[in-house]
Amino acid sequence: MVRLNSVMVSANTTEMAIAELANKLGDTDVTPNFVYAFYGCAHDDNQVLAFLKQRFPGAALLGGTSCSGVMTQAGLGGAESVGLLMIEDAEGSYGSSIVELGDDPAAAAETALLAALEAADCPNELPELVWVYQAPGQEEAVIAGLRRIVGDRCPVIGGSSADDTVAGNWRQLGPDRIMTNGLVVGVLFSSGGIGFAFQGGYEPSGQSGIVTRIGFDTDGKSGIVTESRGRHILAIDNQPAAQTYNNWIGGGLTERLAEGGNILADTTMFPLGIDSGNINEVSHYLLVHPDAITPEGGLSTFAEVEEGTRIYSMRGEKRRLVDRAGRVASMAAASLPDGIDSLAGGVVVYCGGCMLAVGDGMSEVSKTVAESFSDTPFLGCFTFGEQGLILGKNVHGNLMISAIAFGQ
Amino acid sequence: MESSEELRETIVVMQRQIDRLRTEAAHAEKLTGALEALLYRDEVDPFSGVFKALESIFGFSHAIVLVEQDTEGDDLECVASQPADLVNSKWRAGRFFQKVLNGRAAVTFTNENVEEWSSAKLERISSSQPALYLPMRVRDRRGLMMLLRPEGDAGFDRDHVVLARKFALLASHAFAARDANQSVAESQRLLTLTDRLQESQKALAHRANHDQLTELPNRTCMQELVEAAIQNQRDGGMIALAFIDLDNFKQVNDLYSHAVGDALLKSVADRLRANIRKCDHVGRISGDEFLILFDIFDDVEDLHAIARRIEEQMKRSFNVEGIEVISSASMGIALYPEHGTDYDALRRNADIAMYRAKTAAKGSTAYFDDVMGTVAAARLELEQQLRLAVRDRQFRCVFQPKIDIRAMRITGFEALARWIDRDGTVRNPSEFIDIAGELGLLNDIAAIVLEDAIQSFPSLDKVFGSETRVSINVSARQASSPTFMSGFAARIAASNRSSRIILEVTEDAIVAAGPFQSLVLPQLRQMGTKVSIDDFGTGYSSLSALADITADEIKVDRSFIMSIQDRPRSQSILKTIESLGNTLGMSIVAEGVETEDELNYLLSQTSIQTVQGYLFSKPLFVDEIYKLKDIFSDICWKVA
Repeated sequence: MVRLNSVMVSANTTEMAIAELANKLGDTDVTPNFVYAFYGCAHDDNQVLAFLKQRFPGAALLGGTSCSGVMTQAGLGGAESVGLLMIEDAEGSYGSSIVELGDDPAAAAETALLAALEAADCPNELPELVWVYQAPGQEEAVIAGLRRIVGDRCPVIGGSSADDTVAGNWRQLGPDRIMTNGLVVGVLFSSGGIGFAFQGGYEPSGQSGIVTRIGFDTDGKSGIVTESRGRHILAIDNQPAAQTYNNWIGGGLTERLAEGGNILADTTMFPLGIDSGNINEVSHYLLVHPDAITPEGGLSTFAEVEEGTRIYSMRGEKRRLVDRAGRVASMAAASLPDGIDSLAGGVVVYCGGCMLAVGDGMSEVSKTVAESFSDTPFLGCFTFGEQGLILGKNVHGNLMISAIAFGQ
Repeated sequence: MESSEELRETIVVMQRQIDRLRTEAAHAEKLTGALEALLYRDEVDPFSGVFKALESIFGFSHAIVLVEQDTEGDDLECVASQPADLVNSKWRAGRFFQKVLNGRAAVTFTNENVEEWSSAKLERISSSQPALYLPMRVRDRRGLMMLLRPEGDAGFDRDHVVLARKFALLASHAFAARDANQSVAESQRLLTLTDRLQESQKALAHRANHDQLTELPNRTCMQELVEAAIQNQRDGGMIALAFIDLDNFKQVNDLYSHAVGDALLKSVADRLRANIRKCDHVGRISGDEFLILFDIFDDVEDLHAIARRIEEQMKRSFNVEGIEVISSASMGIALYPEHGTDYDALRRNADIAMYRAKTAAKGSTAYFDDVMGTVAAARLELEQQLRLAVRDRQFRCVFQPKIDIRAMRITGFEALARWIDRDGTVRNPSEFIDIAGELGLLNDIAAIVLEDAIQSFPSLDKVFGSETRVSINVSARQASSPTFMSGFAARIAASNRSSRIILEVTEDAIVAAGPFQSLVLPQLRQMGTKVSIDDFGTGYSSLSALADITADEIKVDRSFIMSIQDRPRSQSILKTIESLGNTLGMSIVAEGVETEDELNYLLSQTSIQTVQGYLFSKPLFVDEIYKLKDIFSDICWKVA
């Protein structure tokens, strides 16, 4: 039998937040095997970790900072909030680990996954789900490393840790350490089954083009470029990428083309999309968020794009981003092996960029998720990149929403 | 449906449900078979039947059943295997096997570090084979079943674990029941359990194979029925597949409601069902599309008769929720084996025939023929080539000069699109524009052509100076799209030659009050880009509508210029257009001047200053543009 409980507190010091958590947890009878912990970036992670270790000895711990706090079935917590989701499952197995991403993030991911499996006492076993939470920037390499071990035979779901202002103040919380450029991996073997969903809330607007040139960052003193993929799109249809993108979105960035710089907030409703396959001839898109115009007239993005890929101009609407979270949660619950009636609760990963764009509508987001999860306990974090399984493949995307549903 | 995003989501959810139901139905059937093998067969080795049933679910090369030995210790003994040569092999039950023995179903991504494998002395199987383990209590002893796939094959996934868990539970109960001490009551309970499984299997199979609205077979089921019919086809008998599409179904939904639309679909389903033979099958494959499998007929006239009956029946009005709905259905029919030897080919060709029927007359029937096939294949080929052409930017401009006939000098050019395909063939827009429009490629092509025109300015300037202008065409639809036009205008502005570019737009786009007038024109004016009304006189606007248009130029359509010296009506119309243009300050260009007589008429009887046409030059690529000087001198000499 799987039981979930979530608590959320908000306080302007970590000491007060922990005191309040301790107070709230006093009432709970859940003895967790696995604990998710997300919190606003102003909190002291070490105090949070120390509290979790002391309060939940033996439980697998993971989490990290979340953009402007967290949400639960009780609503939005705000930037000073701390949220916990506790999973009690005596018949299941759970483990977590944390590693530095370092120079070889793919190898680090492999190490972390094997360590998490070891911690779960399930070495060599294919988990039901792999959870990841990491510093933004190396997500594709991390997924590539994990896929070397588990392929696409189990979902890899999670997010990229975030702060409130994209200032690089994001951290990751593992079972025994806090990191700023790390990767936390959790492995879940739930006895009640797991359902999941991963989607974006955007539609193609009509324009598209072929990525004809990608920029490369040197990774040492010399080397040979072996892969034409990266996070710097220099040209679309042989034209400067920023100019083409600006044309697609109706000229909203015209004044920014010359000076370049951060365009994150301007592009949340206008991401790029990559066709990730189709079902019954209807295409599905993985989203890529342009975050800056580079001095070369290119676009810097939060996810990798390959040369020769057709990219699509996408459009979002506030209303859709609000409704979408609830729908993704519903889809996750509906995909539980024993059906939606077995739902015990869940986790939602909601893009931090979407959250900032939705603004005041976010309280409605937490409400729709709570309704979709039938008011069972859930915890939501806000991230700068989302990972999930889309049409049978584990991928990294931007402006996406992931949901995990746990069966009883 | 609010949006395509919602459509995507609905399709994903439906597909997931259908896949799940179908998988569950198939699995229920196999698991029932495996359980029956355990429960009823008097074989010494009940596992041979079990392995056979499980093989189609899990896809394995080796199956091994290990049980605890009677003797003390942690050893396990192989009591059954496929192939059989592992029977009696001994395995040590280490930490991992103990977990499985205690009830855990698991997949390993490697067995190389699993202690049980390192202690086993095995020659015919390898620790690098993907493995699935499930617990299995064999009578009163704990045990496990190990399924192995060939080395290098894809490993088992989480769905296999879920299924293995279900089977392990049922199989352990079945073994308990097989025990010699099994009571009558227990035996009865298991029989009931098996019956229930079979019932749920039937219910699942029905749900997985039928459309829930009409209860007709769904797309997947129809495919299976057609494939089975092809398989069972006897000599001399014929099979046919009809593709039916309701005419104007969208309007029914829009005019009444989706509830009425759904009710209409149900009525259509009932009517189709009532008008086919017992041996035929009708299914709904999506929205308003139905398939009928005519399963064996000896005379094609029988088929024609049924098709005519269905066609007539579908034209009768439907009484739906008290509303009389007039509808019809277009039908295309493909025959096996003439028009296809598998389901996909038959469905595709029936679809092509349906499209032909709908185009010819809604509510009619068409039979597929080779011509349709050729046309469809050619069209598909062209579509593919066109997509590649856009990807590879195989479009270039040709330039046709605009001549000031009073000064006899070139004042500008009209840029026209040409597709240069891979083998160098130059294709005119008439060969690809319509299809490009249907495929949504026009904007891409327009952008490529604009770019080529902009890049050609230096070459044009070198020969004709920097005063010449270049006219570029945009379609009415493009002109009315602020998103497209803002991107187009931005590229023109970035060329630093915006005042030397003229946009040619057809009169229906420019006359219609809409985004072009309110949003696009002001932007063009600010940039200094001029606007020309192309093909004037062929649209539906009246001459008085010119008063409301703020264009710079009128291009009189070639149909008025052709043989104008001999056509008084065209002369009168041209005079009126000329007079209005002069009054409104718009310059006039006569298009399609092809003879000296036409040119002489324009010179002597009108004040028109600019002309364009084959008399002076056909459109030329930029690298041939130098030829114009010689051609032009020749014409000037002749006219003079």
